[in-house]
Amino acid sequence: MRGKYLLIRLTQMVLVVLAVMTIVFVVLRVATGDPARLANPPGTPEDIIAQTRERIGTDVSLGMQYVNYVWDAVRGNLGTSFRGSQSVSSAVFSALPNTLSLAGITIVISATIAVVFGALAARRPGRLLDRAVLVYAAIAQATPAFWLAVVLVLVFSVRLRWFPAIDMTGWRSFVLPVTTLVLSLSPILVRTSRQSFIETLSEDYIKAARSRGLPSWRVFAVHGVKAASLPLITIIGLQLGYLLAGAVVVEAIFNWPGIGKLILDSLASRDFPMIQGGVLVAAVVFVVINFFVDMLYAVLDPRVRVARA
Amino acid sequence: MSLLEVRELSKTFEVRGRGFGRGVGQLRAVDGVSFDIDAGETLGLVGESGCGKSTLGRAVVRLLEPSGGVVRIGGVAHESDDPRLRRLAQIVFQDPYTSLPPKMRIGRVIAEPLRIHGIVAEGEVSDRVERLMLDVGLKADLAGAYPHELSGGQRQRVGIARALAVEPELIVADEAVSALDVSVQAQILNLLRDLQSRYGIAYLFISHDLGVVRYMSHRIAVMYLGRIVELGPSAEVVKDPLHPYTRGLLASVPTLHTGRPTVRIQAEPPNPVDPPTGCSFHPRCPIARDVCAQDSPPLTEWKSGHWAACHFALDDHGVQSNQNDPGDQS
Amino acid sequence: MTDVLGQLESAPAGSPRPVGWRMLAASPLTMVGLLGVIGILVAALFAPALAPADPGAQDLTNILAPPFWDEDGSSAALLGTDGLGRDVLSRLLYGARNSLVISVAAMLLGASVGLATGLFAGFFGGRVDSVIMRLGDVQLAFPFILLAIAVLGVVPNRSAWHLIIVLGIPGWIIYARVVRSRVLAEKEKDYVAAARAIGASKWRRLFRYVVPSVWQVVPVIALLDVGFLIIMESTLSFLGLGLPPPAATWGGILAEGRRNMVVSTWLPILPGLAIVATVLSINLLGDGIASVFDTNVVRGGFRRIIPKGAGQPALQPADQALLDVRDLGVTFPTRAGSIRAITGVSFDMAHGETLGVVGESGSGKSVTGSAIIQLIDPPGRISSGEIWVEGEDVTRVNDRRMRQLRGRSIGMIFQNPAASLNPVLSVGYQLREGLRSVGVPRREVVSTVRRILTTVGIPDPDRVVRQYPFQLSGGMNQRVMIAMALAARPQLLIADEPTTALDTTTQAQILTELVELTDQQDISLLLITHDIALVSEYADRVLVLYAGKVCEIGPVESVISSPAHPYTKALLESVPRVDATGDRLEPIPGELPDPSIVRTGCPFAPRCRDVMELCHSVDPMLTAIEQGHHAACHLWSEVEVVGS
Repeated sequence: MRGKYLLIRLTQMVLVVLAVMTIVFVVLRVATGDPARLANPPGTPEDIIAQTRERIGTDVSLGMQYVNYVWDAVRGNLGTSFRGSQSVSSAVFSALPNTLSLAGITIVISATIAVVFGALAARRPGRLLDRAVLVYAAIAQATPAFWLAVVLVLVFSVRLRWFPAIDMTGWRSFVLPVTTLVLSLSPILVRTSRQSFIETLSEDYIKAARSRGLPSWRVFAVHGVKAASLPLITIIGLQLGYLLAGAVVVEAIFNWPGIGKLILDSLASRDFPMIQGGVLVAAVVFVVINFFVDMLYAVLDPRVRVARA
Repeated sequence: MSLLEVRELSKTFEVRGRGFGRGVGQLRAVDGVSFDIDAGETLGLVGESGCGKSTLGRAVVRLLEPSGGVVRIGGVAHESDDPRLRRLAQIVFQDPYTSLPPKMRIGRVIAEPLRIHGIVAEGEVSDRVERLMLDVGLKADLAGAYPHELSGGQRQRVGIARALAVEPELIVADEAVSALDVSVQAQILNLLRDLQSRYGIAYLFISHDLGVVRYMSHRIAVMYLGRIVELGPSAEVVKDPLHPYTRGLLASVPTLHTGRPTVRIQAEPPNPVDPPTGCSFHPRCPIARDVCAQDSPPLTEWKSGHWAACHFALDDHGVQSNQNDPGDQS
Repeated sequence: MTDVLGQLESAPAGSPRPVGWRMLAASPLTMVGLLGVIGILVAALFAPALAPADPGAQDLTNILAPPFWDEDGSSAALLGTDGLGRDVLSRLLYGARNSLVISVAAMLLGASVGLATGLFAGFFGGRVDSVIMRLGDVQLAFPFILLAIAVLGVVPNRSAWHLIIVLGIPGWIIYARVVRSRVLAEKEKDYVAAARAIGASKWRRLFRYVVPSVWQVVPVIALLDVGFLIIMESTLSFLGLGLPPPAATWGGILAEGRRNMVVSTWLPILPGLAIVATVLSINLLGDGIASVFDTNVVRGGFRRIIPKGAGQPALQPADQALLDVRDLGVTFPTRAGSIRAITGVSFDMAHGETLGVVGESGSGKSVTGSAIIQLIDPPGRISSGEIWVEGEDVTRVNDRRMRQLRGRSIGMIFQNPAASLNPVLSVGYQLREGLRSVGVPRREVVSTVRRILTTVGIPDPDRVVRQYPFQLSGGMNQRVMIAMALAARPQLLIADEPTTALDTTTQAQILTELVELTDQQDISLLLITHDIALVSEYADRVLVLYAGKVCEIGPVESVISSPAHPYTKALLESVPRVDATGDRLEPIPGELPDPSIVRTGCPFAPRCRDVMELCHSVDPMLTAIEQGHHAACHLWSEVEVVGS
């Protein structure tokens, strides 16, 4: 039954990836108009623009371009950069791990904070710790990541000189970017986790488990955490997009060689293939991660596993 | 001609798994049911959860489209959203907390049917609403209240007033008192009986509670797994049941006689998606024989007006001598 | 904000409480939010009038002037000037205006698309619904912000419209999902079916019945959405993808200020504070409104309040009784004051006997059961009395001792068997866990599980242990619960409406098995139920509760055949009996009392047939009618109470 569920979800994922490729193609084309014009400064003679079109393959019909784009992308060919003739895929894939490590560390830390503080707050709703957690969440949620990053740099790099302000150089350089991202991801996770624990702890089965004399750590850790973590997983999946947005900002501020920085730089240099490739790869990675989140959910929740397979 | 004629009524639900539309099976919630209700009569419909009694009730007033069979009210088989049908037949629901629109004042809830069907002129609507509220025992000053300001019993009265507004000839009462506390339940039961004697309304009274059904009904129909297995005059069904399921059900009902009952029916109802062959009760039946697993017994009139779907309806099962059989104690 | 949305999606239909200013005003944080939102609206609307200078006017002779609180600051530019000598306060005010206009417009765009699709998909369902929701899935599985960044970067002649579209469109799915799920939930409710039954057309049902119950959630989502959009808008501006210069935007001011941040620290700080204050106000207000909709009382928590004087040696002289409840009172504090769930409840139970506790809603029968095992739902607490179990007052023992008593001395089974088992753990796991915790050796656990499941009438224990609660019927789940509770061989088993959720035939099977098992093992059974007939069949003695007080207690035979309390009498007469003739029932007039209203005298007096003057003022005491049969009614009072 598990295999069947996996198969269905895999097929769905492939369909979503195709949809995502199409959206990226259509939206960017509509917004840009003519990529060849984008690549050249305004006032460039028409024959030069025509040459550019030919070079990047936009001289054929839009349908043909789409087919070529999908076919190339499936084979891992994302085209060539306008600047310096670098292969887009090699640029994108060398930037990807830097973004993923940033995002991965952020998720692990944020989820840990969420489970620990959400659970502690839920044990005594309305008490001091619970209120403190809610105040933290409210303020952190209202704080834009880019401002936070600037303030962190001002305090810890400019004034205190504890951590580097820019570039990826050893573990110290992770501290400020990760802190920024954790502060922007964790509030919603903490709130979700708190709410989920409060609801779980008031379930009948928790009362029933306690009525059997199970030690409270066991009621909490075995009966509470597993059920309460399910909404948290859902919310992490939904928040990945915002995390990615946060990563773009953080990479711009800390000069981090990730995929967000790559896209921002290509926007500045009007490098269409690089923009398209970067967005596409980020989107596909996003879909794949969401797929694993769903799988994790199914592993933890037998109702999903059995009912949907 | 009876007021309500139900012939071979069926309602089938598709039960599907998720994903790529792989059909899994069909649930025959109501499976070829026939019965009549006369004007001013109450037919009690009793059965356990999942037996299809609510589906049947909703199909009668066409809140569900039947998959097969005919429902005639006053001799006519109406289309589902025919206003004439809506004025003939009404329904009262179980849950007083979800059966009233939460954002509508009581007065308007009761006025809605009056306006929809233009039963009285706009200027007389509030007078009529007041009269309906008095009819069901509500103070007229509650007309401005919202449902959440009322108690469960009061809400149920509002639901009855709404149904009464169209001056129906038939009301389907779908577990209409099951959600109420005992001390309030009796008030509503008496109200329904009073309205019947005053306006000559017929009821299809659906409940899982045999005591309530017995109190309300002229005749009782017992449902099991989508079919009527027994149908007859209330006193006879309760005192001298023909179907072993009815006997078991009666034995299971707690009575005020001290001492524990004998449990006659074992196990639990089978999965309705995959019902047993033959008589669907045979796996739980204390008197089942080989034939029961093969042939599904038709609903047969064993005594005058008393029907049962059992191959051995008239056999003596040694039940009559049992002290705990409520049929013997009255 | 998705957590709030989740609450809204699942919030009960049309909350019973209307949104009132008074409720909002009750929370100071919400008021702070409201004032903040009003402030920012004023700033945005009247920016041209409020701003001391033209936000674009450069003055290269006065660049990077410090704000007024700095010793070099001046009142000419209250918040100083930027790198081009522009007045920072004016730019912040105009920034508020730009930010708010774009965010609100984007919200309106997303909201209108989302509301329309959500209503449509939810009400009409079918293929339209699945297409719309698949689109939503794709959208959620897609980092739209990244695409937005790319689009704004490549689009020629970026304008406010581009921002509004790029920010607004992705938001539709939030509205669509919430509205759809609410519509789906509402349209299945009986009031919509009732509307159809009275002849209301499809459109009338949608707009007169469904929409009024659904629309209330939209302002909250919209508000929180605006807060989120303000952050996104300023992020884009910060990245240089917002309104093109020279327009003043918070993100833009910050980005410019960042270049001079070492010299002029306040330049990047100020716009950030403006954003934080704005979004915080909006979120506080939104949460405040959302909490009005959220009817769930915050329960949860493991707190068990031990009355003062705990830690005293909780011992009483040796006694016959297994359980001795004395003058027990439980209260639930609420904002409006304490609700007394039970008052002055006293009774005892001998070893091996079955005591039925009968009562209607609000009688306090369940609270009594929960109090004995010390698992009263928060915020309820024991306000008075003692509960002696085998010579120990459980209201005073410490938590550690209480845990030992639970399971081993006192077991409990609940009304809703499926909800009383953990849905994500297998039945076998939960059984083994329970057995291990009461000291069954590891190697005997598996065989014990099989044995106890067989005892409670489960035909194939080996299959059942591998299954999850949702795969079993209600009757099977309740058997598992009984097996679990009995496995530890408690002295006392509390069964709180154990068969109310089950069918009649299953009820008879399970109660018969339960009573047989407790008889065999000499376990005392406290059977809590609303069904007095059930008690008459299975219990030895019966305790009748009304509005949190004991009406009557005595042997089943005498209470049923000669009830002493008018309430018991009336209750017996109002139950329709299958074995009775069609005589008219005598209902109890009136409604059950409202527990939040404290009244003097006998709680049943307003509905009582035999009421006397005295009953309204003096609470009757339990009086012995015959050996072991007591009633709290002035009809039986031997001494006339005078002058109280």
